[in-house]
Amino acid sequence: MDISFALTGKGYVIVAADTTAAHSIIKVKLDEDKIKTLSPHLLMAYTGEPGDTVQFAEYIERNIRLYQIRNIYALRPPSAASWIRRSLADSLRSRKPYSVNLLLGGYDTSTHTPHLYWIDYLGTLASVPFAAHGYGSYFALSLLDRYHDPEASLEEGLATLRRCIDEVSKRLIVSPGKYKVKVVDKDGVRELDF
Amino acid sequence: MNSVYSGPGFDFANTARNSFLESRGLPLPKATSTGTTIVGCLFKDGIVLGADTRATTGPIVADKNCEKIHFIADNIRCCGAGTAADTEFSTALIASNIEMHALSTGRKPRVVTAMTMLKQMLFRYQGNIGAALVLGGVDADGPHLFTIHPHGSTDKLPYVTMGSGSLAAMAVFESGWKQNMTREEALDLVTAAVSAGIFNDLGSGSNVDACVITASHTEMLRNFVKPNERVQKERSYKFARGTTAWKKEDIRDLIITEDITVIREGEAMDIS
Amino acid sequence: MSIMEYNGGSVIAMVGKNCVAIASDLRLGVQSLGIASNFQKIFPVTDRIFVGLPGLATDVTTLHEQFRYRVNMYTIKEEREIEPETFAALVSSTLYERRFGPYFIEPVIAGMQRTPSGSYKPFIAATDLIGCLNFAKDFVVAGTASDKLFGVAEGLWEEDLGPEDLFETISQTMLNAVDRDTNSGWGVVVHLLTKDKVITRTLKGRMD
Repeated sequence: MDISFALTGKGYVIVAADTTAAHSIIKVKLDEDKIKTLSPHLLMAYTGEPGDTVQFAEYIERNIRLYQIRNIYALRPPSAASWIRRSLADSLRSRKPYSVNLLLGGYDTSTHTPHLYWIDYLGTLASVPFAAHGYGSYFALSLLDRYHDPEASLEEGLATLRRCIDEVSKRLIVSPGKYKVKVVDKDGVRELDF
Repeated sequence: MNSVYSGPGFDFANTARNSFLESRGLPLPKATSTGTTIVGCLFKDGIVLGADTRATTGPIVADKNCEKIHFIADNIRCCGAGTAADTEFSTALIASNIEMHALSTGRKPRVVTAMTMLKQMLFRYQGNIGAALVLGGVDADGPHLFTIHPHGSTDKLPYVTMGSGSLAAMAVFESGWKQNMTREEALDLVTAAVSAGIFNDLGSGSNVDACVITASHTEMLRNFVKPNERVQKERSYKFARGTTAWKKEDIRDLIITEDITVIREGEAMDIS
Repeated sequence: MSIMEYNGGSVIAMVGKNCVAIASDLRLGVQSLGIASNFQKIFPVTDRIFVGLPGLATDVTTLHEQFRYRVNMYTIKEEREIEPETFAALVSSTLYERRFGPYFIEPVIAGMQRTPSGSYKPFIAATDLIGCLNFAKDFVVAGTASDKLFGVAEGLWEEDLGPEDLFETISQTMLNAVDRDTNSGWGVVVHLLTKDKVITRTLKGRMD
């Protein structure tokens, strides 16, 4: 069961996703990266139907890259979110829709603001201060409601994320072991040891 | 993505998605329907049509005073029961086609023409357009009164009723209708028939709309009888100003004001 | 649980004396799980028209984009702004076009309609999900709390309320109705339109 979290802070967005690739009841891989870097200041965590996820994420990744090659500048987070949402909404109207849920975290270099979007497979788009997908959301959202601070430093943000991950490990029966944590801020995207 | 031009007819783009959602165990919702009592009756000089004014969504009254007698042509009107949007749009479509037809033939439209257009359209959609209609009018052949069912079948009768209140209304017609009634007698009978629906059928309610069509004139009697008028409330339920606490306010002034401050008197233009 | 209740949300519009108000909640949920408390369902169409789009959240965004596109095309072709009554017809035909594969949205329209004399008169309308228009002279409601909104509004609404009184009436109607609905709430926003002003207020309400 895929789990992903994301939260904003002062000038950054943290995106975290578990690293398990499962097949039925078997864990087949323990270091799967489910967070794609779409552009220098844009991260996307994807969960959902295996197969659909990678196919869709790569489609998005390459189209966002194509836009940047054509226009020099990459799409800013709100525009990227809008386009990705539309891709999912169109897919939902096709014969075989993608079953993919996304968290899109980005840093807008022209307004110097962090952005976080919650997107589900229906094409629902919400701009939020923190978000989660999967069973983790039932634990994490209440913790984030209590501890999230939009003005928090990166260290404080990571401490809040730690609370969420610990809670899931403690209470969820099928909790994943490891998480990949990435952060995007004015300096771009980087992975953190967590 | 949608193009600038969208073709005529229905768009089925959402159907695949909607049946996918339905298969996930989310039942499709229901549209506004007019529970409805609609009636029509023949009299000496023409036709009287009648309708109640209640629109419902399941057990909720969605509209307390809607219009169910639709315009088709100056001398033809049509009462609609069933799915509200369907009656609204199919009568509007036929009204516009009838006008085109009248323009191209140069004749006053006939009731059978409207009836045929409606039944052929409804038959083509195999009952999926849920419009049950009472069509009446006076043309070169005299007065005509039809019922049209959602699947496209029609009847031509001297007095007709449709909708969920049709049984109550028909009972009144059966006991009170006679040949060669006067305008007043017919109007009273129609009012009584619709009222029977309003008071005995849950799907019908509020007011009586009527329409009298004769060879020379069509008279639309909107809210002809209002037996369920709401009385003035016993007291005012106004809240004291400031009852509601609010956190944020944004006021946008739509009047654009511009202050022009003359910084320096300019020199006169050199026109020599 | 119907598709219309999947994400939750409600909208109401009321007529006052030379003013109209439209209000909605701010919740976005996935059934009983709350996702966001800042989800706008009411969108400005022109300076004097607002449209509320309660229903399935993906369609809220899709239809908003669709309406923005069609209104822009209208403005370019006609070289004038769209009037509320015309916009209501646009909404109605956009939805009826999809009669056999509808969007799961029940739009509510509120605006100030320009009269031939140049003044403005209040206008409200609502449609069902396939575009059947309902022009009411008092109030219109839609969304998961519509049953409750009908009841409260029927009791509280009265004729000729001025802007500030209308604000209190619509706010109290909304707040009390969404408190009795599990799928609506998490904040309320009210837009108040007069002939020369648009006032937007975010209300203080229960967050449970």
